[in-house]
Amino acid sequence: MLLPFLAFALILQASLPQTSQRTIAIDEAFAAEAHLKVGDRVAIAARPGASAAADMVVIGAIVRRGADPSQVARGDFVARLHLDQLQRISGYGDRVDRFAIATRRSGDIDRTLLRINHVAFGFRAYRSSDIAVETSRTFQVVSRFHRAIGVITIVASSIFLLCIMVLKVEERRRDIAALRLMGISRSSVVRSIIIEAAVVAVLGSMLGVVLGWATSLFVNWHYQALYRTPLYFSIVTPPVIGLAVSLSLILGVGAGVLASMRLVRTPPLELFGR
Amino acid sequence: MSSLTRPRSGALVSGSAKSDVNPLVSLREVRRDYALGAERVHALQGVSLDVERGDYVAIVGPSGCGKSTLLNLVGVIDQPTSGTVTIAGKRVDAMSDREATSFRLHNIGFVFQRFYLMPILSALENVELPMAEAKVPSDDRKARAAELLEYVGLSSRERHRPSELSGGEQQRVAIARALANHPDILLADEPTGELDARTGAEIISLFRRLNSDGTTIVVVTHDEDLANATRHKVHMRDGRIVDA
Repeated sequence: MLLPFLAFALILQASLPQTSQRTIAIDEAFAAEAHLKVGDRVAIAARPGASAAADMVVIGAIVRRGADPSQVARGDFVARLHLDQLQRISGYGDRVDRFAIATRRSGDIDRTLLRINHVAFGFRAYRSSDIAVETSRTFQVVSRFHRAIGVITIVASSIFLLCIMVLKVEERRRDIAALRLMGISRSSVVRSIIIEAAVVAVLGSMLGVVLGWATSLFVNWHYQALYRTPLYFSIVTPPVIGLAVSLSLILGVGAGVLASMRLVRTPPLELFGR
Repeated sequence: MSSLTRPRSGALVSGSAKSDVNPLVSLREVRRDYALGAERVHALQGVSLDVERGDYVAIVGPSGCGKSTLLNLVGVIDQPTSGTVTIAGKRVDAMSDREATSFRLHNIGFVFQRFYLMPILSALENVELPMAEAKVPSDDRKARAAELLEYVGLSSRERHRPSELSGGEQQRVAIARALANHPDILLADEPTGELDARTGAEIISLFRRLNSDGTTIVVVTHDEDLANATRHKVHMRDGRIVDA
């Protein structure tokens, strides 16, 4: 059984009283994988097969995993032990690898960092925000990669939209020619095509938002189950919806203007093929 | 079907109430040349023609004789290379695109061979379209569109879209649309060309009724029945009027 020794477990459980019936907490992925439930008795040891040194404990709690992107792809299981038991099993004694310090006032942080780094040889203190930035670098790269894909998609779809609008308007050359012959002005023709393009763009983007939202639900359901994490892999936020609809509207109207201007500049008789 | 004619202020079809000494349409020595590659095609070679108000004229002749070119000039869609075109006392041969568009909207009704109704609009809305462009108030244009559809015998089909109408019904909607803004003249290019004989006969009958109610009509046609139903026939050949 693999037991990653987590610093927070050491800190949180340090002062708990010893009892004859020791308990541990395990994460839900661990519980699912090993078919464990609250109340089960298990033997724990530092190394697999070390039955002589094993302690019998009771599963006291099964906890959900945090929404931590850095943990998603890792196959680790987490078990939290009382500190004294963990120290004894691991043979670490009073040693710790990492620990966290909370200050009462934010103004004390710099002073505390300075002091620890000055006096505690072998230790290095960081702000939690700095650690968060450091650990999320990979995700920033991934995020930029996604943005690049998004930009390529927008460029491709805008070309597609323009082609659709041009084809759609081209199909109606003769209808537009007839309108012009009836005395409908160029501006009225352009206006009607732009309105149509805008309606198509807005309806299309709304449909896209609904599809995106449904796909997002499926993606989250699938990967949350796969990685046993509450992390959201895909989100459709109001700003994203606003951006999608606005962009689509701008592109649709632009495509409508280009397509209609091309036609109304052509003499009606030429549109009729005469 | 109704067959009423009222004064201009509320006329269903226009024409008979107007009295004018000059012809409604007057073409003088009109020539129209086209560049076709390195060659010049002389589509019209010095055509002069008068159409009186209330007249019903068919322009006939073999293909390529210049019928449609003549109709385009009368319809202010095209401009002559030389000569003059006057409609309702106004020179139209050198109008700007904007002026010509406005003139067509208010003075000329077009009926095409292929109807060209807007597929997403109902029959009533199609008839309203030119009036909406002419800024006719909504209530007035709805009333007039309904009246015109009743005139062409389609009052029961006014909510139907073109795809739900037969060819003959679509052409009747197109005729009602052409009459929407009280035009001085109705121009029709092969109006029975897409219709079977029976439906074509209905359209011919409708044109006769329109003319007898005062509408000036000029048709370009190969249909002998339609040509024979008009008051005058203008025969063309090689860009010239050979018999009028």
